[in-house]
Amino acid sequence: MLSRVASSLFWMARNVERAESNARVLEARLINALETQEYGKVALSDWEAVVEICASKLDYEEKGGSFTAEAAASYIALDPENLNSIRNCLENARFNARAVRDHIPEDFWYVLNEHYLSFRSEPFTDWNTRRIQTFLQDTQRLSYTLQGIIESSMLREEAYQFIKIGKWLERGEKTARVLNVMCEKTKEAEQEANANYYYWLSALQFLNGYSAYLKRFPPTMDPSHVIPFLISYEQFPRSIEYCMEHVRETVMKLENGQVSHYSEDLFKSLDYVSSEFMRIKFQKLSKEETGLFLDRFQNDLNRISSVFSSTYYFV
Amino acid sequence: MLKNYPAEGFYDEMVEAAGKVRPHYEKFRRILERHAVDDLNEKHETAQLSFLRQGITFTVYHEEGGTERTMPFDLVPIIINDKEWETVEAGIKQRVTALNYFLEDIYNENRIVEDGIVPKELIQQNQYYYEEQAAGLSLPHKNHIFLAGIDLIRDADGVYRVLEDNLRNPSGLSYVFQNRFVMRKVFPEFFFEHAIRTLEHQMSHSHQALLAHVPENSPNKDNPQAVLLTPGMYNSAYYDHVFLAQQMGIELVEGQDLLVKDDVVYMKTVRGLKRIDIIYRRIDDDFIDPEEFRSDSSLGVKGLMRALRWGNVAVVNSVGNGVADDKAMYAYVPEMIRYYLGEEPLIPNVDTYFLSDPEVRENVLGRLEELVIKNVGASGGYDMLIGPQSTERDREIFKEKIRENPQQYIAQPTIQLSRAPAFQKGRFYPCHVDLRVFAVGSDHIHVLPGGLSRVALKEGSLVVNSSQGGGGKDTWVLKKGEDVHA
Repeated sequence: MLSRVASSLFWMARNVERAESNARVLEARLINALETQEYGKVALSDWEAVVEICASKLDYEEKGGSFTAEAAASYIALDPENLNSIRNCLENARFNARAVRDHIPEDFWYVLNEHYLSFRSEPFTDWNTRRIQTFLQDTQRLSYTLQGIIESSMLREEAYQFIKIGKWLERGEKTARVLNVMCEKTKEAEQEANANYYYWLSALQFLNGYSAYLKRFPPTMDPSHVIPFLISYEQFPRSIEYCMEHVRETVMKLENGQVSHYSEDLFKSLDYVSSEFMRIKFQKLSKEETGLFLDRFQNDLNRISSVFSSTYYFV
Repeated sequence: MLKNYPAEGFYDEMVEAAGKVRPHYEKFRRILERHAVDDLNEKHETAQLSFLRQGITFTVYHEEGGTERTMPFDLVPIIINDKEWETVEAGIKQRVTALNYFLEDIYNENRIVEDGIVPKELIQQNQYYYEEQAAGLSLPHKNHIFLAGIDLIRDADGVYRVLEDNLRNPSGLSYVFQNRFVMRKVFPEFFFEHAIRTLEHQMSHSHQALLAHVPENSPNKDNPQAVLLTPGMYNSAYYDHVFLAQQMGIELVEGQDLLVKDDVVYMKTVRGLKRIDIIYRRIDDDFIDPEEFRSDSSLGVKGLMRALRWGNVAVVNSVGNGVADDKAMYAYVPEMIRYYLGEEPLIPNVDTYFLSDPEVRENVLGRLEELVIKNVGASGGYDMLIGPQSTERDREIFKEKIRENPQQYIAQPTIQLSRAPAFQKGRFYPCHVDLRVFAVGSDHIHVLPGGLSRVALKEGSLVVNSSQGGGGKDTWVLKKGEDVHA
């Protein structure tokens, strides 16, 4: 397979996944905003957290964005200036898909293209929050459909594997990011009543883990449950460990279970992350230690991503 | 349905005289009349949407960038009976064969010039003649033309004539298949009752033909690696490239995916470099190799021509084909057929006048309102004057252009292009049509049954090019004996 094609498949998958997860975070936040009063100041101020999770807070502030529901929601969902706006993610995904049309199922292209055509003709200027919410739901459903098409019709060969690696890396990264931001926020808001409860509840909702979590743990949002659940609960498909395990497994398949000289670095970086997990898994981390671990992990992920790109000669 | 349809004045593909369709359209008319207008509107709508959804689009460039547009589809097919098709098929084979001989000749022995059939200047001064780059290449099967698109029209008497040869990168083959695909989906009932030459297997045949171009030094003679080289998704014909690569089962590559090392072409894969044997390129000569053509080209592959010259790779269509398909050389094709094949052309040309001859020029300038003027180097319907539809001002501009640069222009009589009914916005009206027939060459020439019927949907317009608002129709070649029972 051409390196350019592999790279497009990888980025196509990452962009679909990013659009979906940003849509979920924003939707969850907009729904919570309706119940703001109950949580007081905390909930009001945390548009900042959402911007940090879905985009770059620095960019946003430089552009003079204000942390109100309306401004932040439209920045995250629609702003063409925001590299990671959902609209841009979908356009990138379509752009990449178009470049590899002969490597993806036809239905994948039809569905993505149809969605693109319908939202391209929208006059975004008069969108209110309610319209944005519909858009967010559509985006998540789009992603489910696309994943379904991949799972049900693609050969389990290289193209499939590059798509999956993109998706799992993106997903693992997003979970780490949500956790990182939430650790910060709970630290800042130590004095606020309900702050802990509110932030960890949000984290679970942002990562589509709330109902799954309730099946295993009491609904108290105890960080000593929530954090390990999101980091290393092996059965939760958005936990960092689950995602990284799948990255590793897929790379293994791509390489037919063998480590060659050109893939050595890649395996080394993956092994390093696994060993880190083993190290922290059975010890109780303090909030600071968790924060440090997450910082390191995000760096490791960036490294894996770049080693991965050079292993397969992405341009 | 066709009650008030005007049949006079032009040859009509379907309607012979008021209220009477040609025999081979009779069955089609019967089935069509079972549909209410609302029904047809709905089917029309479904067909358009299907193109858009599939992303079967071409890109139109304007000041604010590019827009993806679909080619409008018209649901009245062009039906060709088997007798007429036999002549077309033989005529296309004959013409492409002669053109291929011509290319091989002028890049090697140059007999046709020495024998005084084609003037030397016409070749030497042609902007697409690449003697330096393309002379003396040894090509598999001496074949220069892997894919040709020959544009045919029908005159007032219904006689097919060649309007234009496209021997470089003819586009539109994907539309032939997609028009059929959509037609079958929207009007399955037509296909139950007609025996039409199928398009199945055509692409696997093209694939075989492509693989027949194995270069001399290929180490994989039994299993050559072929790719389609595209300028990328910003090219207006990108969908065509995607479709062809997909249907032939070959990799779609861009210039950035290839590199030349020690005069061998490789593609950059996730497992390292992989050797390429055959390149079906859809990049123009000018951009194909910055070492030997435009040095600012970022679309091409540096060193490709060296690899080609060493017989390490085959490139189709060949470099330098443009000299044979420009509008001035066109006038000499009938002579080429006589010269190389000793046969009379089966499909005549449209009469063509050269404006470099002062006498002819003055005559033409005196009756511009009757003629069509074309720039010999332009395509896509650009830089063209259609006399009967021009204003005084248009004609003044062209007079100026011709006087300044007479060898750049040719004149042709305005052909009464044939018409066929089109159904748009709830009614049938006559539109001018032409037909691009595709021929695939390797050690022999194969003609695809049918082709791309292009239609000028603007009423009265003679320009069928998609960039100028033209649309497409499905084209049916009836099987032998089919029209007898109609």
